[in-house]
Amino acid sequence: MATRDPLDFDVGVEVDEEGTPSPSSISPPSSPLSYLDRDRHVAFFEMLYDLMPYHYQSQEINRLTLAFFTISGLHLLQALDRVDKDRVANWVLSFQALPRSRAELKNGQFYGFHGSRTSQFHPDENGVSVHNAGHLASTYCALAILKTVGFNLLTIDKESILISMRNLQQPDGSFMPVHVGAETDLRFVYCAAAICFMLEDWSGMDREKAKDYILNCQSYDGGFGLMPGLESHGGGTYCAVASLRLMGYIEDDLLSKNATSFIVNVPLLLDWCMQRQAIDGGFQGRANKYSDTCYAFW
Amino acid sequence: MESSEEDGGVPLSRMAEWRDVTPLRQDDGPNPVVPITYKEEFRETMDYFRAIYKADERSPRALRLTRRAIHLNPGNYTVWHFRRLVLEALNTDLDEELDFIQRIANSNSKNYQLWHHRRWVIERLGSNARSKELHLIKSILSLDAKNYHAWSHRQWVLQALGGWEDELDYCRQLLEQDIFNNSAWNQRYFVVTRSPFLGGLPAMRASEVRYSVEAIVVNPNNECPWRYLRGLYKDDIESLVNDREILSICLKPSQELRDAVVALWTSDTRPLDADLATAICDILEHVDSLRASYWIWRKNKLRIAA
Repeated sequence: MATRDPLDFDVGVEVDEEGTPSPSSISPPSSPLSYLDRDRHVAFFEMLYDLMPYHYQSQEINRLTLAFFTISGLHLLQALDRVDKDRVANWVLSFQALPRSRAELKNGQFYGFHGSRTSQFHPDENGVSVHNAGHLASTYCALAILKTVGFNLLTIDKESILISMRNLQQPDGSFMPVHVGAETDLRFVYCAAAICFMLEDWSGMDREKAKDYILNCQSYDGGFGLMPGLESHGGGTYCAVASLRLMGYIEDDLLSKNATSFIVNVPLLLDWCMQRQAIDGGFQGRANKYSDTCYAFW
Repeated sequence: MESSEEDGGVPLSRMAEWRDVTPLRQDDGPNPVVPITYKEEFRETMDYFRAIYKADERSPRALRLTRRAIHLNPGNYTVWHFRRLVLEALNTDLDEELDFIQRIANSNSKNYQLWHHRRWVIERLGSNARSKELHLIKSILSLDAKNYHAWSHRQWVLQALGGWEDELDYCRQLLEQDIFNNSAWNQRYFVVTRSPFLGGLPAMRASEVRYSVEAIVVNPNNECPWRYLRGLYKDDIESLVNDREILSICLKPSQELRDAVVALWTSDTRPLDADLATAICDILEHVDSLRASYWIWRKNKLRIAA
């Protein structure tokens, strides 16, 4: 029998003596970690955790996102013992934009987490903190980091986040990431859904409207674009499907359920996703484009 | 008026005009995670930006400072936001602002903040800016015909300001240059379904079917026209399945056409021809071995449904 290509992670299909493939129980693939030089990756993330080279300064506005990749990377590599979890939690918490009073929660601003120290200032003598730059994606990253290091999310001021987050939802169901104005697309619907899911509280968004927006993003070919009308895209498709799952509009294991219809065209979506694997084994983000590692994740 | 040159290299602390400003360092807390080793120019620029931003100074020098900060960090949405506040306060010529954005775009054509800023400017200029904007997007697409941001912006311009008349022809041109360009196919669908001048999908379907079939015949291994064709029958699979012209295309041997035939059976709206479908799954399992498990699963689903 031919030896299996070690990169073949596809579901193992047992072949009986006559060579007829039959569906079988999935044999667990050998650990993906055995194909990575784990120690080097851990060392790389440890280096970034301590100090990032100047090349990253153009990503300064996304410090929390950089931290999320670093902490999450170490976590995935089972090396979270390398970080000081309390130090991480305290640093992340220092990015939270806190209102002076509950009344401020209705002033249109978003009291989530800043992404960086670009414009985060100490409150002045009167206790006034100016220029709230709370951002949905930073908030998602902040909560994800806190959860990863084992911080109890119930102890943070979740009400400020959730009540003020509603200020960011648009009439069409999409989300703006900052209250001062920015592009709106599926990425921020996903951030909003993830935030509510992690805080176990859906008062932060109108799920029905968000669902409608997501459905409008499904393209004629089964994938999802980042906005209605846009080309179907791996990242957009992930945001759409993950959001629907988080919000409870679709369940796990859809394909094994014998439902006759789903809110999205699942067979077409599946077919589109399957076709994204290119001849080089990697995944492309859109039809007839080169494959890229990130799309394997999406 | 803003200088069109970059303030190359001179530290702000050595400039007379900034003498009255105390730069504001970032406070990263006692034990920061992922601290960045900023270069001196970057650190200083952002320290001055913090000072000006906190003081909310909306002056010409503030405008120049945001330009300097944007060159160093074009993704910084806070700086872009403050720049908009200053532009409004100074009532600056927005056509010049478009030129500024264009210069930044030359090396940052995939930056969300830049495109959002451009949209903000266009909203203020109104429909007068429309044809110039559509022209500009075309020139960006001529460098990269699949730039997602450019396409997103183009769709916004069309919907907000119009200009649909030539769009279908533009799609045709792009597809002539590269029939594999999925962005152009997607735009074609966008125009066909949304243009106020074409009558919508029902009116356009026959001609679009002919167009996509022609494309299929030339390159049957091109995924785009197959999906486009199916998309033309979005809520009406029955008509697709019963179309003789399409059936004749499907009888020609090719990888993609087999995919399409099987794709027809993803809908449960008609009884399955189990033998043919099963045979096709078997064929695909071997000729499309990358997706062998998928075709096996599809075949098993046929058996269950039968």
